[in-house]
Parts: sequence; structure tokens; C-alpha cells
Amino acid sequence: MKTTVPTSPTDQLEVDQDIISRVLAGDRDAFSTLINRYSDPLYRHALGMTGSPDVAEDILQMSFIKAYQHLAEVRGRFDAWVFRIVANGCKDWLKNIRRTHLSYDEDDQPSGYSTPDEELDRTELRSDLDRALMTLAPSLREAFVMKHVEGRSYEEMADLLGTTVGALKMRVHRAREALQALLEEKYA
Amino acid sequence: MQDNLNARDGGGDAGRERPRRASEQAQPLSDREVPLAGSPTSEMINSWLDGDTPEPVAVSAESARQVDLWRRIEEESQRRRHLVTPAHVKAQIMAALPADVPQMALPWWKKSMHVSPVVAIAAAAGLVALGAAIGNSVRIR
Repeated sequence: MKTTVPTSPTDQLEVDQDIISRVLAGDRDAFSTLINRYSDPLYRHALGMTGSPDVAEDILQMSFIKAYQHLAEVRGRFDAWVFRIVANGCKDWLKNIRRTHLSYDEDDQPSGYSTPDEELDRTELRSDLDRALMTLAPSLREAFVMKHVEGRSYEEMADLLGTTVGALKMRVHRAREALQALLEEKYA
Repeated sequence: MQDNLNARDGGGDAGRERPRRASEQAQPLSDREVPLAGSPTSEMINSWLDGDTPEPVAVSAESARQVDLWRRIEEESQRRRHLVTPAHVKAQIMAALPADVPQMALPWWKKSMHVSPVVAIAAAAGLVALGAAIGNSVRIR
């Protein structure tokens, strides 16, 4: 997982454990360090899985509160533990809610170097890609989002999801095939 | 008389297709058993997107279109990779944290027990009564 401070995994684990000890000793504000360190990749995961910034924010908030309440139970890597809380939150949401709309338009920031036509084209691809992603089974969407949007290696994905690299490659390849089938008529 | 084996498909209306159920329509594309429409993602493209090989040089018009499509999807994915948590969300999370310091969840046998004097006296009286009852029953035999 990308962190704001470049450290080795062992250093990262020690730093996180130190922060957790401080929180458990009563330093509630120390928890904000963990939020600052890990919220961005977790937010991107939730956004990729749900397609809605509002829902992603809610899932992130609920997940960090849950993490805080159960902080004394952390064994091993905090980032992997909190990732599982967020991933499960996304899956629960997908099980319970039927999507009504999805768009990244709310936080679209037009880039300064593209022409209006290029920007329009890009915005269209964004919403088409979102729609196509939402037709994928959650396990395929999760694998695609982790690989392409979060830029994780297959090894890292396998570590976080508790599965094999081979199984994840298969999921990503199937997701690509499904997305290509949906998008190539319009874009290829 | 012959049984109508296709009753679910609309009785005797030959050529009329059975309307698809909502559950079938809502089924994720990738979970369907039928082959996906369109051309399959080639091994070459998967290998490129997995970072195992450099961007392929397209040998046909079709593969050139596929490469172009995936280049555009990758551009969009890269943009999303730089999205950050809105600043207000971090503040909201901190504000919503419970005031209590998180505690280790102990199993019940490790939890400390507080017993008030009244409860202790009642429990002792109960035990004495139980002992007397057992003693009586043993004496009767």
C-alpha cells in the first residue's frame, strides 16, 4: 500500500504499532495519523467499487470508526486489516443496495491542457467505464479496481485478499474481457 | 395427445421468445455462461496490461483498435489513481470517533465482576437453602 512516508514494510509495521499503542493509551488524536496515512488508497477502493463519492465517503467513515473501536484486536499489519474492513463494507453495500446512478462527475476537475472536445470525450469514457464496471460481478470488479485503479501488484492483491496470484490474474483477465466487450463497439 | 414440453416458452406460439426474467437481465455480464460478445482480449494485451511486456505493436486493424481502447482506459485509470480523500471526510471521521478509549474485548471469564452486598447476601442465602434441601433429601433416603 502506498504511504505518505516512504518506509520499509517492517518500519511501517513498527510505526503503526507505535501509533496504535498511543491511541490505546488514550491519545485519541494519534488515530488521525493512521487516517492520513491510509485513507487515500482506501477511498479509491471504495469509490471504484461503489461508483459513488458519497457512498465511498460513508464506507470510509464507518470503516475507520469500526477500526478505532476494535483497535486493540489488530494483529499484524494495520493497513491490511483496515483494507479488509473497507472491502467487506463495499461488498455489504453492493449486496444490499441496487444502484440508481453512478458518476464521477461531481469531482471532475477539467484539466488545463485539453480542448473542450477532448474533455467531453474523456468525460463520456469515464461514465461509460463506470457503467461497464458496475455490470461486473463484485469479485471481478474488485480485482480490476485493485489492479488498474489502485495500481497494486498481483502479489500485493493476493496478500490482501487471501487468494492466489493465479486466481487474481484470471479475475482481472475476465474483467478486461467483459469491459472490452462492452466498450469496444463505441470506442474501438 | 402430446405433452407440450415447451409450456414455459409460451405454449403454442411458435417463434415467440419467452420474455427474460428480471433476475436474468440483472445478472452480471461476466457471470453468464454464454460467450461474451466482441473479440476476446488477446494474450498480447493482457501481457502488456499486466506489465510483463512493453506496449504491443499492433499487427492488424482490430488489434490496433483494442490497444487504443486500453490505452484510453489506462489513462482514465491513472487519473483515478491520483484521487484523494476529500479533506472534510478526514475531519468528519475524527469528529465521529467514540469518546471512549478502545479496549481489548476480554472473554467473560477474564472480566472483573462487581457484586453488591445485597446480591452477595442473597446468593449466600440461596446456597444455604439449596444445601439444606439437598441435606434433607439425603436424610429421608
